[in-house]
Amino acid sequence: MNGWNGKILEINLTALTYKTYPLDMEIAQQFLGGRGLGARLLWDLVGPEVNPLAPENVLIFTNGPLTATGYQTSNRFSVTTKSPLTGTVLDANSGGFWGMQFKKTGYDVMIVRGKAKSPVWIEIKSGEVTFHDAGDLWGMRVYALTEKLGQDNNRRNVLCIGPAGENLSRIAAIMNDRERALARGGPGAVMGSKNLKAIVVEGKERPDIADQDQFKFMLYETRKLLAASPLTSQALPEFGTVVLMNIMNNIGALPTRNHQQTQFEGAEEISGETLTEKYLVKNSACWACPIGCTRISKTEKVEGEGPEFETTWAFGAQCGIADLAAIIEVNSLCNDLGLDTISAGSTIACAMELSEKGYVDSELRFGRADLLACSVEDMAYRRDLGADMAEGSLRMATKYGHPELSMSAKGMEFPAYDPRGMQGQGLLYATSNRGGCHMRGNMVGLEVLGLPKLIDRFQVQGKSSFVILNQNSNAAIDSLVVCKFTNMGVADEYFARVLSAVTGIQYATGEMIKVGERVWNLERLYNIREGFTRKDDTLPARLLNEAPTEGPSKGWVVQLEPMLKEYYRSRGWDENGIPTPKKLADLKLADL
Amino acid sequence: MPNIKLFANLRNVAGAKEVSIMGTSVGAVVSELTKWNPALAGHLLENGQIRPHVIITINGHPTSDMEAPVTEQDQIAIFPPITGG
Amino acid sequence: MVDPRIYDMFREIGSDLYSANMISSHGGNMSIRLGDRVVIKRRGAMLGNLKPHDLIETRLDKNDSGVALASTELLVHRTVYLNTPALAICHCHPRTAIAFSLSRDEIVPIDNEASYLLKKVPVITEEFPSGTPQMANKVATALQNYKIIMLRGHGSFATGQTLDEAFFWSSTLEEACQIMLFTRQINEPFIEYRKMSESYNKF
Repeated sequence: MNGWNGKILEINLTALTYKTYPLDMEIAQQFLGGRGLGARLLWDLVGPEVNPLAPENVLIFTNGPLTATGYQTSNRFSVTTKSPLTGTVLDANSGGFWGMQFKKTGYDVMIVRGKAKSPVWIEIKSGEVTFHDAGDLWGMRVYALTEKLGQDNNRRNVLCIGPAGENLSRIAAIMNDRERALARGGPGAVMGSKNLKAIVVEGKERPDIADQDQFKFMLYETRKLLAASPLTSQALPEFGTVVLMNIMNNIGALPTRNHQQTQFEGAEEISGETLTEKYLVKNSACWACPIGCTRISKTEKVEGEGPEFETTWAFGAQCGIADLAAIIEVNSLCNDLGLDTISAGSTIACAMELSEKGYVDSELRFGRADLLACSVEDMAYRRDLGADMAEGSLRMATKYGHPELSMSAKGMEFPAYDPRGMQGQGLLYATSNRGGCHMRGNMVGLEVLGLPKLIDRFQVQGKSSFVILNQNSNAAIDSLVVCKFTNMGVADEYFARVLSAVTGIQYATGEMIKVGERVWNLERLYNIREGFTRKDDTLPARLLNEAPTEGPSKGWVVQLEPMLKEYYRSRGWDENGIPTPKKLADLKLADL
Repeated sequence: MPNIKLFANLRNVAGAKEVSIMGTSVGAVVSELTKWNPALAGHLLENGQIRPHVIITINGHPTSDMEAPVTEQDQIAIFPPITGG
Repeated sequence: MVDPRIYDMFREIGSDLYSANMISSHGGNMSIRLGDRVVIKRRGAMLGNLKPHDLIETRLDKNDSGVALASTELLVHRTVYLNTPALAICHCHPRTAIAFSLSRDEIVPIDNEASYLLKKVPVITEEFPSGTPQMANKVATALQNYKIIMLRGHGSFATGQTLDEAFFWSSTLEEACQIMLFTRQINEPFIEYRKMSESYNKF
């Protein structure tokens, strides 16, 4: 078998048993792996009657046909589940080394079902599965646990939850390889609800490749293209993702103080340039990655991976904080506790606004960098206001009578791009299947950076075409599974050819992107089945009605209605945003 | 004189974060900039045009128009090709 | 009337195509997709000298522009939009590329730029070239896997996210073919300078 291993591992935590069975190859060809395959399997396994934190929810870990082949960035993997934060279908995606190793154990998919009677951890060594008691590990933080379970990047890899997941925080992450995260949407809470502390993998099998010559050619071309692109050979390795801070601020699209403003006076102090100048030790890379966007940062208190742009923004501009050292330290703390940094930072910002306005009794105020660390600890251990923050900003703001102060869509907190400065991003956030997320189809390339060419960020007509293409293409890339930064130097047509060379099945570029369209529509169907409707494709009132009063985005609100109408029509959906039978038939989803 | 802010590796090349440069159009400003520091030319220009993916903003609004007018009070920002997420 | 910025973009690229000898006075066509609508040149208009009323905006799946026929090639453009991820199409008549298309099934560039960007450009054939469903489907199918293709004896079809991307591929192809023509005139043994070049025609 080429590309895929062809095997599914199913774990029953209630009985502490497991079984393996073949992967349905017709489904595999339609959905590839990663996010796509996860969504398809979740469709059959978890319906609307299931509470995300109940034993009936599942965790589906998937790699893809390209994983562990050695193609550039073929290290990424997904977890799919029903989100305890949003109630939608959720996939979270991570890099590092675990995904590669999981592929080497001989499985494409691991489905974790049920709930263990007491805490356990799972060890998978070359196909054999062992359950271990985790009684003495429960309560351990991620760094100590990862080391204790024998993390060795290329040989033995640890995936685990920290106290945040154990305490069922709806914004808890699953961590792998110490500091990589399956972060958004609360998958850590699902793992915690199953009494599952960690999964450790060791494997030996490498995937077969159908056309070695074509594969070698693609490796060579990709290496050339990544080296030639200043984005992947210079900007990302030197400055990391935080390099976006200054430009987002410059154009007036950097959400500040819980989206009350679109520019932050302290942006320079928390920029990629400042990080490189003052705190960077070196850059680092995931398995088989020549780009090396990972930062290794050091302050007086910590040294470790990160921070990324979104993290730096969430605890920085969003909280009105310009203290980069404090941000680096709280990032490290979030990783150790197992928390999503975007949701954590933005939820603290929401609490800051609630507090300043007198809706909640707390010391939190914008700019209070000294309260970041204890807030995050309180979130992980559900102490005081932390118990409310652990629920995410929407549930917290609703409890205190002001849901409109949660900067989120479908309950997931937005990342670092204010859509009043980028109309297309607004449409993206409102229509994303897992909630307010930029990774579904980031419009920053087209609307800000000129990749491939700058389009007018305030223009509304025709914007949906670009959003749809990004969403479809990203869904395909998430199903391969490779890193989207490779896409910065290498066009989709190369991925299609690598996929064809590895699997031996010819995928035209358009067909590969159509896989992405299929995945997108399936995720949409899932959410519709869960009860989501057109009215959930929306944004907070602040973004629809309150225009910034200064800066380059002054006077602009998100023109969602016309964009959404055009979006539904362009996707082949009816005016309620429901995929038509004709569209489903075209995507071979008619039987669902 | 218009104020020019430089970002990312342009700062390393120019040895400065900010500079004031004469010019009444984007093209004129870029030209003066490369005269002031010739090392910048290779990073900013290609065949007399702004190099692809270099981003120039005037008061926060991106432009690729070399003729776009620039006044004394304008804030110009120049970014090399960058990306993130 | 379409948005003036869209008109400016069409007019500039159309003019560039004409001055680059890639279209005749009234030949070629370009379009962009805007959501579920298309903007395309009116039949009979000159791409090299476009006026605002030369651009028609219509629904993607049927003509609601009020103008009789936007272009004899509208069917091809529509079919491409409905079957590929394209958001812009540039169809022109690059002379040297057309000449090469008459004697081969694929054009494999030898110059650095086009090797890097294009690798290989397939040549397809259709007995009745203009505006038939068979031709439209053939072109769309080929463009599923390549961003630029040649229709033998007729011209190139290129796609992109933006019109100037599509123009870029078209211009690169014509430049590549002109260079290949020159090497034939120079007629000296080719010194291979690219690694793994034997794989280009399998792209």
